[in-house]
Amino acid sequence: MKTGPLSVLRAIIKREYLQRVRSRWFVISTIGAPLVVIGVMVVPLLMAQGGGESSGPRSMALLDRSGSLGELVGPGLEGAGYRVSRASGGSEEDLATLTQQVEDGDLYAVLVLDSATLNTGSARLIVENSPSSIRRLTLRQLVGQAALVATLQGEAPEAMGLLSGGSLEVEVLDDEVEVESSDFILAYIGAFLLYITLLFYAVAVMRSVLEEKTSRVVEVVLSSVRPIELMLGKILGVGAVGLTQLGIWATIFLLFAELGLPKLMGARPELAGLVELANVAPTAGQLGLFLAFFLGGYFLYSSMYAAVGAMTNSDQEAQQAQGPLVMLMVVPAVILPPVLENPESGLAVWTSLVPFFAPVLMFARAVSGAAPAIQIVISLVGILVATVAMAWVGGRIYRVGILMTGKRPTIRELWRWVRAG
Amino acid sequence: MSDLAIRLQGVTKRFGDHVAVRDLDLDVPRGTILGLLGPNGSGKTTSIRMILGIYAPDSGRVELLGGEPDHEHRSRVGYLPEERGMYKKMKVLDHLSFIGELRGVPAREGRRRGGEWLERLGLSDWGGRKVEDLSKGMQQKVQFAATVLHKPDLLILDEPFSGLDPINQDLLEAIVRELNEGGTTILFSTHLMDQAERLCRRVCLISRARKVLDGDLRELRRAEDRGDVEVEFEGDAAWLESPDIATATATDEGWHLTLGEGVEPAAVVRLAMSAGVELRRFERVVPRLHEMFIRHAGADAAHDAGRLPLAPRTGAAR
Repeated sequence: MKTGPLSVLRAIIKREYLQRVRSRWFVISTIGAPLVVIGVMVVPLLMAQGGGESSGPRSMALLDRSGSLGELVGPGLEGAGYRVSRASGGSEEDLATLTQQVEDGDLYAVLVLDSATLNTGSARLIVENSPSSIRRLTLRQLVGQAALVATLQGEAPEAMGLLSGGSLEVEVLDDEVEVESSDFILAYIGAFLLYITLLFYAVAVMRSVLEEKTSRVVEVVLSSVRPIELMLGKILGVGAVGLTQLGIWATIFLLFAELGLPKLMGARPELAGLVELANVAPTAGQLGLFLAFFLGGYFLYSSMYAAVGAMTNSDQEAQQAQGPLVMLMVVPAVILPPVLENPESGLAVWTSLVPFFAPVLMFARAVSGAAPAIQIVISLVGILVATVAMAWVGGRIYRVGILMTGKRPTIRELWRWVRAG
Repeated sequence: MSDLAIRLQGVTKRFGDHVAVRDLDLDVPRGTILGLLGPNGSGKTTSIRMILGIYAPDSGRVELLGGEPDHEHRSRVGYLPEERGMYKKMKVLDHLSFIGELRGVPAREGRRRGGEWLERLGLSDWGGRKVEDLSKGMQQKVQFAATVLHKPDLLILDEPFSGLDPINQDLLEAIVRELNEGGTTILFSTHLMDQAERLCRRVCLISRARKVLDGDLRELRRAEDRGDVEVEFEGDAAWLESPDIATATATDEGWHLTLGEGVEPAAVVRLAMSAGVELRRFERVVPRLHEMFIRHAGADAAHDAGRLPLAPRTGAAR
């Protein structure tokens, strides 16, 4: 039988990884999150265009009894997304036929214009279901404007110039681009994603430690494994789950941007707004930065969270004991907007060099192009040093705490654990 | 190879001001069944944890299977802790193969052996179910299987039979005996004295962090035997006043007599006959483990009862 610390470590990592990846939660969040994000981006665009009631342009019959207004209203309707058919004639029979078509669903509506329209701007709309207020407003404005134009054309042709709405001449004085570049968006989204995933997976390590402790299985495991091996295996296993999830997310978005998006835009030209999304696709270097800061931040925070899990006895206790760590993690999230607004300010530089804040802040500055390489390197080295220190302290607390039941230790007791270790 | 499975020499462990184990010497020969007995909080679990290298002793030496309690030696030990713990969300066979892997059994082989054990324990239908779906008794049997899956040389069982019904107690007892016959050394702690008496070849009694009794059970019995007798008779009890009889205690079924220095038990019969009482029953009383336990730990146990044990415990000293 071959046994050794390495094969044991492998077994611990494998268990941690498989148990999590097979869980319902992992499948749902891994598949669900990208769907929600894509949905959030795509659905509003679809709603804005289609009015949300049905897809495809609606067909509308235009029955013009005024003689001149049809020419003006027709193009306006088309501009608003209707397929317009001009109904010839204007007898009551024609109207009845069209009304029947509306009832049958062949037509969305019939718009009737007559001499009264020309005078008062009022028109009649025959429709199956009551249209939305936005739709009413659009139609009223179309008809009213057309009536105004027709009247003015007859009486004061020179007023037409004003009706066209004038023009806007843009004079650019400062050539600096506003920060709303794709890098800015990337920095913001990426930093936020880092914050969320770091917090989530570090807490997952804590929960896993706590579960082993409260279920007492840890005593069996520790009869053949050293505490530090168990802690390391757990951190590596949960970390591998995090990388897997991030990898799947990246793949889904890449596939969507490269394959799904062009197809979608080909089918629905009104989704052109999504082109922005393709422009935001990160470069390999930016992905590398994300990976580096994720791993650094994860090892730093998970070794502290493992110690919190080991020194507490219940979820509630852990909830309280992790307070200081949550504070450490929330600070960068809170000052992220000002840092990104002004990535070269003293605040931005100094806070992003603090190892506990660096994973979020230095990443954001690096991606937005504001951090010189030397600062990035310093912050990564800082994270590494802090991780070694925290893993040393956390490992000692873990080693004592994992078998300790009863009252939560005080700071002084914790200190004694660290020194005794 | 050392002929001792476990050797503790002058082992002491403190937690803050509390001394959990004080200067403990213990030799466990290979192939024996040793019962580790003692009241709550007497230091049994701490001693076991030091044997396994979970705790490092503050002073003294621990030898496990002829070496340090390191990974190599510990992976040849099977340990069933008093506090039963399993991965509740894992499937039974996955749990078994994982625990086996920690001790060097390849996953596939672990699953095979796990299946065999489940069959032996009457749980063959439960291998694919989650641990949390099993009843407490079933979980305990699965945990026993996890303890022996890697064919350990030494089995350390902390209160192994608590919480099991008599049928399953007998089943596990038979398996323990069988493993011992196959050469496995067994150390188990228990409060159940009759069980210890049935199973153990050796006992070690710990009380208030110290060892108070240790040795071969039969030899201990002989040494502890003070020649006590139990009698039942018809007639006046005045003859019990004889100087040959040190104490006479009334029991439900008669009298328990301890004899004076150098008095042969047979003398009681002569005394009864000369007093003219009709002797119904005369019995030599071999000291039971239970009595030895009370004799050596009773006062301490009573004293300790008011103290809070280090860890929450199940069962009670009897």
